[in-house]
Amino acid sequence: MVNKDEVLNVVAKVLKVKPQELIEDKTLYESVGVDSTEMVELVIALSKHFKVNIDTKEITKFSTPQKIVEVINSKKNE
Amino acid sequence: MEPVAITGIGIVSPAGLKKETFWANLKNCRCYVDQIKRFDTSFYPSRIAGQIYELDRYSNFPSRLIKKIDIFSHMALVATQQALEDAKIEMDSIDKNRVGVFTGNALGGWLFAETELRDMYMEGREGISPYMASAWFPAAAQGQITIYYGFKGYSKTIVADKASSNLAIWYGAKVILDKKNDYVICGGMEAPITPYALLCANTYGGLSKNNISPKTAYRPYDLYRDGMVLAEGSAMLVLESKESAVNRKVPIYGFIRGAGFSCDAYHRMRFSLNTEALEYAIEEAIKDSGFSKEGIDYICLDGESTLFGDMLEAKALRNVFGSKLENISLSAPKSMFGNMLGAQGAVDLVITLLSMKNNLVLPTVNFEEKDPYCDIDGTFNQPQERKINKALIISRGRGGINCVLAVEKGGGLW
Repeated sequence: MVNKDEVLNVVAKVLKVKPQELIEDKTLYESVGVDSTEMVELVIALSKHFKVNIDTKEITKFSTPQKIVEVINSKKNE
Repeated sequence: MEPVAITGIGIVSPAGLKKETFWANLKNCRCYVDQIKRFDTSFYPSRIAGQIYELDRYSNFPSRLIKKIDIFSHMALVATQQALEDAKIEMDSIDKNRVGVFTGNALGGWLFAETELRDMYMEGREGISPYMASAWFPAAAQGQITIYYGFKGYSKTIVADKASSNLAIWYGAKVILDKKNDYVICGGMEAPITPYALLCANTYGGLSKNNISPKTAYRPYDLYRDGMVLAEGSAMLVLESKESAVNRKVPIYGFIRGAGFSCDAYHRMRFSLNTEALEYAIEEAIKDSGFSKEGIDYICLDGESTLFGDMLEAKALRNVFGSKLENISLSAPKSMFGNMLGAQGAVDLVITLLSMKNNLVLPTVNFEEKDPYCDIDGTFNQPQERKINKALIISRGRGGINCVLAVEKGGGLW
């Protein structure tokens, strides 16, 4: 199981936003207005940080922070 | 051509990152060319340039944006912000569908591209930043300005070496006259002080190799000239129709009155020894603007500082103006900070407008001995007080892309 705060910190650091701006049940697009290129960078950063293989289709700008944690957890359990 | 008003100026240059400091520094004829220390330049024949050191201090753009763009777009954003503030444009009261951005750039964003390409070859596909695709190409700066401010009007980027931004300004003026846009933000930006871009510029061979004495290296029209010096920077201007500027009661710096263009059609790098093409461009600019040859007060020279560049420019001017040239002030103030390639035309326009405002002709610095093959006199080493009402700005790109802009002083709303 990955720590939710750890995920949020990685997301906030990559996107250069404050962790408080990321609202749990809102998509990244709604809360901080990410674009597709930022998502590519984010997916690569998350893959490297948590040492899992995530596809850009699995985490999109319409994913919520909750969903991102779930995706990473399911990858960890594989 | 009907006059198009210039109401805002923004400048980012080695000689100052605001128009007030820029003017104060140039007026004192200080030189801002220095050795390049930000990367190892020991194997470059030319190791000097005009550089910007404190851009971040003058920038208030979010770091989330800055990491996605190259330095040349960053400089353009800072200059645009200054120009919009200077023109007192209230963002809420304008129709953003009728604001366009016209920029000139020659090289693109190599600082971003070089580092990312290296990472791609070192680390593979995942080593490259996803922003690379939208950061390096010459139109990136225009795109970033339009996205940041939400300007949705007709916009364009022109790539024509040193004539880029003068062409962009002329296109912008045309769009205002055609009533396609209410406002046009136009100008140029360039960041050639990166390892690869500098290498390319060195290969071209037109750069000064006077690395020991950078302050006196760029010396247009001097007998001992050995090439130009690169610089990085950006200049942006706000154009609008005369009626719009008068209605808004803002000071008008000057008017774009006309332009002349031509190509040498001779060689991919060198200028044609026959100066007919440049003469044609100058004549066209005079005809288009309705100026008389006697009425022109000032000509901002291209001053390439190469053996042929200056000689041919002098020859063309002498052929067009004959003895009337004695009454015209000529200078290339860019010798104080270097040549910004794609942005140089816009910077020259800013210098000309500020000279008009302050009734002062800025000199060509580092002049020691007259070249007998350059049959013109100019304003050298010391500024000269003179009222400037009408001026020409000459820009010549490599291989002879000639663009001459005609400018007139604005109304008395200073």
